[in-house]
Amino acid sequence: MVNKIKVENLSCYYNEKCVLESLNIDVVQNEILSVIGPANSGKTTFLRTLNRMNDLDITYSRKGDVYLDDNNIFDMKMEDLRKRVGMLFAMPIPLPMSIYENIIYAPKRLGLITRKSYQDTIVERALKDASLWNEVKDRLNSSAMRMSGGQQQRLCIARILAVNPEVILFDEPCSGLDPVSTVKVEESMLELKQKYTIVLVTNNVKQASRVSDRTAFFLTGKLVEIDKTAKLFVSPKEKTTEDYITGRFG
Amino acid sequence: MIKLNPKLSQKFSYLLLCVATILAIVPVVVIIFIIIKNGASVISWEFLTSMPKNGMCGGGILPAIVGTLSIVLCAVLITLPIGVCAAIYLNEYAKDNLLTRIVKLAIVNLAGVPSVVYGLFGLGVFVMFLKLGVSIIAGALTLSIMELPVIITTARGALSSVPYSFREASLSLGVSRWQTIRHVVLPNALPGILTGAILSIARISGETAPILFTAAAFYVPHLPHSPLDQVMALPYHLFIISTQIPNMPKNIIYGTALVLLMMVLTMSCVAIVARIYFRKRRKW
Ligand SMILES: Nc1ncnc2c1ncn2[C@@H]1O[C@H](COP(=O)(O)OP(=O)(O)O)[C@@H](O)[C@H]1O
Ligand SMILES: [Mg+2]
Repeated sequence: MVNKIKVENLSCYYNEKCVLESLNIDVVQNEILSVIGPANSGKTTFLRTLNRMNDLDITYSRKGDVYLDDNNIFDMKMEDLRKRVGMLFAMPIPLPMSIYENIIYAPKRLGLITRKSYQDTIVERALKDASLWNEVKDRLNSSAMRMSGGQQQRLCIARILAVNPEVILFDEPCSGLDPVSTVKVEESMLELKQKYTIVLVTNNVKQASRVSDRTAFFLTGKLVEIDKTAKLFVSPKEKTTEDYITGRFG
Repeated sequence: MIKLNPKLSQKFSYLLLCVATILAIVPVVVIIFIIIKNGASVISWEFLTSMPKNGMCGGGILPAIVGTLSIVLCAVLITLPIGVCAAIYLNEYAKDNLLTRIVKLAIVNLAGVPSVVYGLFGLGVFVMFLKLGVSIIAGALTLSIMELPVIITTARGALSSVPYSFREASLSLGVSRWQTIRHVVLPNALPGILTGAILSIARISGETAPILFTAAAFYVPHLPHSPLDQVMALPYHLFIISTQIPNMPKNIIYGTALVLLMMVLTMSCVAIVARIYFRKRRKW
């Protein structure tokens, strides 16, 4: 077991108000770690700290360290970090361009395309890995805004894959999707685990139990419990964890 | 107080609103009608493309048209890049601190300064201090300064109409802030920026005070050769032939007004059509 990400004593604040308190958590290479917990327990803040999306928010501040392969992410250049740690948001956000351009956008900007002839290969591979290729291969040049929600979300996954990251962060990726699209996104996550390390924040406890190797339970900014998913769902150590996963919370 | 029944008061307010609207439109329609009625007869290819003759009582108004177009185009070429850059800085980079707020407030208030003040400023700074003389470039710079706040404001509006989530999506892929602005924000804000620019061309074409002391000449017998030449300009020319020259044929005055009016209206229409076109094509 290799630790891909090490979080040491991380605390996060908005306007000096603490929303995440002395968090210590490791993410193992090639696992799916899911993070569950009620709304406002700091899950999104945790994810947005891991790829420093929150650094643009002036009300946000933090203490503690996060290591990616033993490099402190707060010493890295933000662009380099985000290239290695991709993020999928709750609502699908395709850019207002064609499907093809959406995928090739980041590789182009990051200078990953050495020869123009590679473009098609990159697009095809990314779409295949996100299990979207068969649905869109005949309309790569139509606007991404005209796809269904589930397709848009998988397009966003493909877009992340095209820059070839090491870690992918999912923030409630299925909260706006119907059950069929949800299954498809979950399938592609299981597929992606082979190559990538995944942190999945989800408000759907069942989803965590279906796809993840380990599960962490957050409550009001604190990590209550983290364990193998099979174990946590069968015999949680903490009473609050049990209440939450059995739906008796509140 | 008299208590009207709901139906009646509904009718009454409707009537009131209609009357107000008509009152607002009538003067514009009347002005346009009078100008067309009196001026249309002189409009011809000849009138638009020849020099004035007989002490401006005959011939055409070509130098005034060319003069106005060159001042206005120069002004836009100066304002647009500066205005868009300033808008990008204010909208995308500037931290929300006291200084930024003062700058934003200043920009809003600058848009309300009377245009004659800009004219005098241009006279002092560009014509005299920088020794540009009364010239196209001095007039264009003066108009630029006057139009800058407007361009910045419309450009900022266009930039902030691009959803914030697009920026986040791009940044989260490791794309830098500038590239995100350059390749996602700007292309989507461009239609708004351009329509704003066209509207401000229309607006400054008719301005007289800022060019009065900085660019416009009473009469120039040739077309401009360089940006340092004085030129005739439509609004100023109109003022001169209406007030300074006795026995000026009335139809030439109205014809000149009509040309200026058409120039401004055409550009406004282009802006409106462009806006509709881009809105239809917009993908979000
Ligand atoms: N941008 C922000 N500014 C201020 N407070 C925030 C911001 N984002 C989140 N919060 C607060 O931080 C806490 C944790 O939020 P979040 O991380 O979004 O939790 P979760 O994703 O688990 O719902 C909440 O109390 C929320 O109100
Ligand atoms: Mg959240």
